Amino acid sequence: MSLLSFDRVAIHLGGREILSPTSFEVGRGEFVCIVGPSGCGKTTLLRAASGLVTASAGEVRRHGVRVTQPSREVAFVFQDYGRALLPWRTVRGNVALALEAAGAPKAQQAARIDSVLAKVGLAAHADKFPAQLSGGMQQRVQIARCLAQQPELLMMDEPFGALDALTRQNLQDEVARLVRDEGLTVLFVTHDLEEAIYLGDRVIMLQANPAPGRPSLARMLPVGIAHPRDQLTTKEHPEFLTLRRDLYRYIEHGHHAAH
Amino acid sequence: MRLTRWLRPWWFPIALLALFEAYLRVVVQQSDALAPPSAALRAFIGLIGDGSLLRATAFTLGSAALGLLIGTALGVAFGVWFGLSGRAARLSLVSVEMLRPVPAVALIPLAMLVFGFGLRMEIAVVAFATFWPMLLLTQGAVTQVDARLLEVSRVLGLSAWQRSVKIVLPACVARLFVALRLSVAIALVVAVTVEIAANPNGMGYAMMIAQQSLDPAQMLAWLGWIGVVGYAVNALALGLQRVVARRMGAAS
Repeated sequence: MSLLSFDRVAIHLGGREILSPTSFEVGRGEFVCIVGPSGCGKTTLLRAASGLVTASAGEVRRHGVRVTQPSREVAFVFQDYGRALLPWRTVRGNVALALEAAGAPKAQQAARIDSVLAKVGLAAHADKFPAQLSGGMQQRVQIARCLAQQPELLMMDEPFGALDALTRQNLQDEVARLVRDEGLTVLFVTHDLEEAIYLGDRVIMLQANPAPGRPSLARMLPVGIAHPRDQLTTKEHPEFLTLRRDLYRYIEHGHHAAH
Repeated sequence: MRLTRWLRPWWFPIALLALFEAYLRVVVQQSDALAPPSAALRAFIGLIGDGSLLRATAFTLGSAALGLLIGTALGVAFGVWFGLSGRAARLSLVSVEMLRPVPAVALIPLAMLVFGFGLRMEIAVVAFATFWPMLLLTQGAVTQVDARLLEVSRVLGLSAWQRSVKIVLPACVARLFVALRLSVAIALVVAVTVEIAANPNGMGYAMMIAQQSLDPAQMLAWLGWIGVVGYAVNALALGLQRVVARRMGAAS
């Protein structure tokens, strides 16, 4: 059985159809990227997958059970790390929040915090407050907090969208490594096609303004490039280039069709 | 240099006191209503000596503090509840808006019937007076907490209690301190008012006695002392706010 399944999930917000009935499955250990223009409902889809939003029709199932509310098994990395971290807690305190929520014994907390902070390269910054860190480091804190939760599913909502190019590449490689080491299943939303192909085992492409004959789910493409990937060689890989051309064409085509 | 800068804000009040002293000594000479500051100071030293200063101050501050504690605890608890639950806020709106405008001092006769003279009636009136600003300001602060933080608490699976204590209250601690400083001032005003109007205890009552025995020096001594106490209490609240802000990662 697949870990996560979308069964004709449709979402209406404020009387507008954000997501037309969409079905797909996510297998254990899979890294699925969701791309699309702004307003296509990709963040809403992610929020429905984590139980933050309830589907208007159809259902989201995890292990065959309907998702109705957030679960500790599902971690969520928000794009706006500045708003998602508690400014009054240190790095260590922010990570501890996940353990406190899970009711982990105090005695075990310190060791687990040290271990996840080491994984994201923040061991030296444990006692700093978020405001003392760069954007990339703040996003690492949020990722560390999610890892401390020990989830099976990781939802990432444009996690690197606000970061500079170099920081973004570093974090892409780190997340890819962490996800494989921890055996996580990932749903990753981005508006960057290259990022989607580089990270994903599969890319799901959404289009805005769904209508009859124009479903939200526009394309679903497997990415057959072997892991681990590399910022230079993967991006020159023939399959990478083919996929990129394919998706870009589709965006342009979809763009013209919308007019 | 530093000493003169530190003294600068004091020149004006000192000059004013000197002027007042000269006016009473030279122009008025004899009065049943006013006394020169030097006489008030002598009366003040007398109050320290016979222990009445300490006794009355302890009573007034004690009942103001206990009343404030009760009013604040209840106000914050209900404020968090109404702030987080839209339904609770709607259902409570009419009751709050009808009870809130009742002046706290209008409760003195009722409190006297229920509790009699003494500490408990004064605490009750102070608690009523401070409950409303704490409730409304807490509720307002809670509704302003970033929705993203509440989502974080949902995704992490925090319980309702954990969400209130670990997310909501720390997130609005700056606004809560504004509310607290406002309530501290209200508590002191109401406590002294209750003593002037009804309760035969504390600084307000002592001032009334001085007035009725035509002792303006002692009355002014109490008045000045109440001002000093009010200033000290506010400074204490401000200091507490700074300490908390520093511990919560504010740039020091």
